[in-house]
Amino acid sequence: MAEINRINRRWYSGMDTSEDWWSVWLGLAFFFLGLLSVTGIDFVGWIAYPHTWVDISKSIAPLGKSYKGLGAVGSICVTYVMFTIATCIGAYFMRWNLKKFFWGWTFIFILTYILWVIGNHAFFAANVTNRVKYGLSVSCSLGGGGAYILALFVGLIIGNFFKNFAEFLSEAAKPEWFIKTAIVFLGVKVGYMAMKAASFVFDLALTGACATIVAYLIFWPGTYAIARKIFKLPRKMSAVLASAISICGVSAAVATGGAVRAKPLIPVMVSALVVVYAVIELVVLPPLFTSTLMHEPIVAGSAMGMAVKTDGADAAAGAVLDELMRNRKMNMDGTKWEEGWITTSAVMTKIWIDMFIGLWAFVLAIVWVYRVDRRPGEVVPISEVWHRFPKFVLGYFATWVVYLIILFVLPDLVENAKVGAVPVEKGMRKLFFMLTFTSIGIITNFKKLIEAKFGKMLGVYCIALFLYIVPVALIVAYIFHHGMGVPVAH
Amino acid sequence: MIELIISHNGKSWTAKNDLLFAEAPTLEKLDSELERQLKHKGCLEKGEEVDLFMSFDNSIIPQWIRQYSQHYFNRIIRLRN
Repeated sequence: MAEINRINRRWYSGMDTSEDWWSVWLGLAFFFLGLLSVTGIDFVGWIAYPHTWVDISKSIAPLGKSYKGLGAVGSICVTYVMFTIATCIGAYFMRWNLKKFFWGWTFIFILTYILWVIGNHAFFAANVTNRVKYGLSVSCSLGGGGAYILALFVGLIIGNFFKNFAEFLSEAAKPEWFIKTAIVFLGVKVGYMAMKAASFVFDLALTGACATIVAYLIFWPGTYAIARKIFKLPRKMSAVLASAISICGVSAAVATGGAVRAKPLIPVMVSALVVVYAVIELVVLPPLFTSTLMHEPIVAGSAMGMAVKTDGADAAAGAVLDELMRNRKMNMDGTKWEEGWITTSAVMTKIWIDMFIGLWAFVLAIVWVYRVDRRPGEVVPISEVWHRFPKFVLGYFATWVVYLIILFVLPDLVENAKVGAVPVEKGMRKLFFMLTFTSIGIITNFKKLIEAKFGKMLGVYCIALFLYIVPVALIVAYIFHHGMGVPVAH
Repeated sequence: MIELIISHNGKSWTAKNDLLFAEAPTLEKLDSELERQLKHKGCLEKGEEVDLFMSFDNSIIPQWIRQYSQHYFNRIIRLRN
């Protein structure tokens, strides 16, 4: 494996070699293809999209009307070819083992589509209001959540019981790359949703930012105090743990480790803990919030964004929550909430958190260098903020803004723009969500928790997360989001 | 400004470029060692000031973590004689 992007010296370092930037390039490439629909030609409608089914021949079809002739097999083949070319170009520039990536990607892609189709069988997906249509008297009412849970479950089986195979697949099992690309696609969704409910989207963005700032100011000192006062951990380890548990998981652990000049081993150990705990949260929190917070769905989504660490697990948990809550609502009173708002509330909060980590790490570096360690002559370069800025956020906002411009400046193009937006924000976004679920499972090995000697860190993480972070996240989310309902689908 | 690549080998911090190589268990000692070498090589004369820009070698971050974060830290040390 060639070593790449060894140093971040210039502002453009990593543009062609990092996953973060490649999620922007991948996301924007398909976004622009979708945007070309304003010319009247649909360039993205070939995406294969599974529907709720009982007859397998009707389980999958291309999303665009102009591509109906492709049929199920044709659309899957075109989808595979398009995304294999795109991801292999990315893998080539990131200097991954291209052969290993290609075969790993092919397996994960095929497995993901199989699980996506199975998870959309009416027995799993249908709810009270539509199960009769499929000739069923009983169904699980999971909506699209059934496919997500199935993908995670199968991924975890591979990751924990077929370790050599999981190791082979790890070259292509990249949940963070997939989810960051999906979040760029989500920008299209948010822009598309703004076409229908602009003020709600702005409220969500504003309250999400406020909630994030408040959560930061409460989470970090509290978690740091738990690590220092109760578990008597050293300062640097406490700081790294506090950031990982209270901010944004692995990226916060690495950023803080660098800011306080900790030995790299510390954030690496904490990161291993974060990844496993994030999957536990992903499994536990969506059903818990669904059973307790049905009256406040946006609060539940926002709290998820603040509580679940790593972008992949958070967006995945938000997507499962979205499916579970919408289907429960249908079962309760027949109301059909619009898809995507709960996911968006979870992701939007997380994106604000991701953006702040660079600034927070910069502040920590200043405090550590000038106040704690007091090393003479050391200066903290301001460029550190940029190097730690999550670049995929640029793609997310760019796609969002373009659709807002169409909405407000070029309203005549809205109808044509929607034709290209739907396959991207619905088909491609959900495909990359599904790839994320499968990949998270494949790279998560619970045995690491037993094998690694985490000691007190395990206790700090468990207590801080479940007795402090999750409850406070719910309170903060309630303060800023209570009363915000999900728009009803017509 | 003199540019170096800083890294950690599990026990010590290291800083190197074509001209310098220093290794020490703490960053303070690493900076002192670099200062000593610069003076010895005549790169830091009396009354002079020099900035050292140290870019972290991010390749030592395990590959599975790099998808989450690809930057550890860069630092600047201002040395005066």
